[in-house]
Amino acid sequence: MTSFYLRWTGVLLVGMLFGGLLYAHYTQHLASLTPEQLLHQMPSGEVRLRGLVKSGSLQGELEQGKAVFELVGERVSVTVQYAGPPPENLRELKTLIVVGRWDPMSNTFYARDLALLPHYGFVTSAYVAGLVPLVIVVFSMARRVNALYEEIKRSTVYQPEATPYVDT
Amino acid sequence: MFRHVVQWVVWKDLLTEFRSRETLSSMLFFALIVIFIFSFSFSMNQQAAQELIAGIIWVAFAFTGMIGLGKSFSAELQNDCLEYLQGSPAAKGAIYAGKVAANFMFMLIVEIILFPLFVIFFNLDVIEQISLLLLIFFLATFGLSAVGTLFSALTVQIRAREVMLPILLLPLVVPVMIAAVEATKGALNGDPLPMYQQWLELLAIFNVVFTVVSFWLFDFIIDA
Amino acid sequence: MISKVVRRLRRFQGWFGGLAAGCLVAGLYLGLLASPPDYYQGEVARIMYIHVPLAHTALLAYTVVFAGSLWYLWKRDPLIDNVCHAAAGLSALFTALALVTGMIWAKPTWNTWWTWDARLTSFALLFFILLGYLMLRTFIDHPEREARYAAVLAIVGFLDLPIIHFSVEWWRTLHQPQSISLRGVSISSGLLIPLVIMSIGMSLLFAYMLILRTQLLYLSRLLETKRGRLLSQFHFSKADP
Repeated sequence: MTSFYLRWTGVLLVGMLFGGLLYAHYTQHLASLTPEQLLHQMPSGEVRLRGLVKSGSLQGELEQGKAVFELVGERVSVTVQYAGPPPENLRELKTLIVVGRWDPMSNTFYARDLALLPHYGFVTSAYVAGLVPLVIVVFSMARRVNALYEEIKRSTVYQPEATPYVDT
Repeated sequence: MFRHVVQWVVWKDLLTEFRSRETLSSMLFFALIVIFIFSFSFSMNQQAAQELIAGIIWVAFAFTGMIGLGKSFSAELQNDCLEYLQGSPAAKGAIYAGKVAANFMFMLIVEIILFPLFVIFFNLDVIEQISLLLLIFFLATFGLSAVGTLFSALTVQIRAREVMLPILLLPLVVPVMIAAVEATKGALNGDPLPMYQQWLELLAIFNVVFTVVSFWLFDFIIDA
Repeated sequence: MISKVVRRLRRFQGWFGGLAAGCLVAGLYLGLLASPPDYYQGEVARIMYIHVPLAHTALLAYTVVFAGSLWYLWKRDPLIDNVCHAAAGLSALFTALALVTGMIWAKPTWNTWWTWDARLTSFALLFFILLGYLMLRTFIDHPEREARYAAVLAIVGFLDLPIIHFSVEWWRTLHQPQSISLRGVSISSGLLIPLVIMSIGMSLLFAYMLILRTQLLYLSRLLETKRGRLLSQFHFSKADP
């Protein structure tokens, strides 16, 4: 039974490690500034900017990976000039995260990469709802099977003890 | 030999029914109540009736069918008749065929008595479509009784059989219900036949598949 | 005392468990971290890597029940009946999980938890059939009859599934407005590889669970008979003198 619990502790550790890895990966994906924060902070290095593509503002050749559009925050909007690989998810009224530098001279954000703002809530809940019951069921079955083997072994050992009743 | 066994099983069931009138009367009475409950719970005008009537008809028929099917084998429990059926040297398939025929007749009789009541209560216009409707009733009722008889025999020897028969049977006859409702709706609306012909074909396929399968599997249920 | 087949299963079960765990970890890594998000659905499409394997495995499990039921009716081997019983329980579990993950996927993509889509509806009906199967087994006291009746139900249900699927699909095309598009995810190779690995991993996990559960059912019955024997020994010995 000890080796059994050791093995399952290992499974649990691997699961937690994996979960932590995923969590780190996705929080890194989500870290970003809104247009208001960008205009307030004026960062000089590369940042990630999050906003909604303004309706009617998108122009440029998407197949060649060049586009100009406006990202809207709560109050202000920022002009974004994108140059990079042909974007798959660049459409109007989508919430995006763009990666690039802010140029205060031209009041333009020069982006080299962009992605949809992901909502991980559904993905996370689906994986939790799918995998956790499976693991619990496997664990409880494995434990029960081990216990049954033990019990059967014991009952063969004790079987002769049933005979003393005969000579009462 | 096979034909004689079928005949005798049908004859036996009809005779018992003729003497006691238990199954038919309870089915009819139940169906009548179902009709009234439905018309109260939906407070139907003419237009709503057009939309809903096919569904109501088949819910009423299916639930009355459950009563008939449940009684089909539980009646055999008295005086150990079931054990004699199990022990008899006759082909088990013949017993199955006889039971299917008897159940089919009961259900069809009830449907034929009930349908005019639907026509009267809900102001339906059915004169031109009557032969098609009869064909639909025939096919769907056969499907219900082919699978239902198998499950009636299956549930008769277990605990909680009154509950288990609908629980096991209803999910399996979903195709029959869908096809019957859609075809009946089409016929009552006076649609041209090609618009709902596929449902009749589906019913025919279901009937063929499950008559053969149930005929074969019945051997394993009535097995001493 | 314990049959040779079961002892052999016990010896090799670790391979299935280990391989399943390896495949699942690799598939999760590829699906959640390494693969690109889907063109249309974005990150939400990653639910596919858990939902589709669960659904496949549920059907695989029911196929095992069907094949095992045919085999049981042919050979009447109680161990095969244990396999069927185990596979049916697991199939119900996988079906339920596939339904739940499917509903979670449906909410962001179709903006509703439930649509009367042919696949969803036939899976729900499959779940009902399996629940009926498991209920039926608890309502019969005679073990041999329990196995026989359950096998009959499983065979009828399995043959009914395609008919249910087609009828619901036809019914849906009549009644649902086509505004909700039920387009499947366009599968590119980058998405396909993690999906295949997850499917294999899930099938192996099912095999592992099936071996475990078969042993569980077999052993508890064995223990029951053993205890029954001890008990009867006890009673006889008391009654004898």
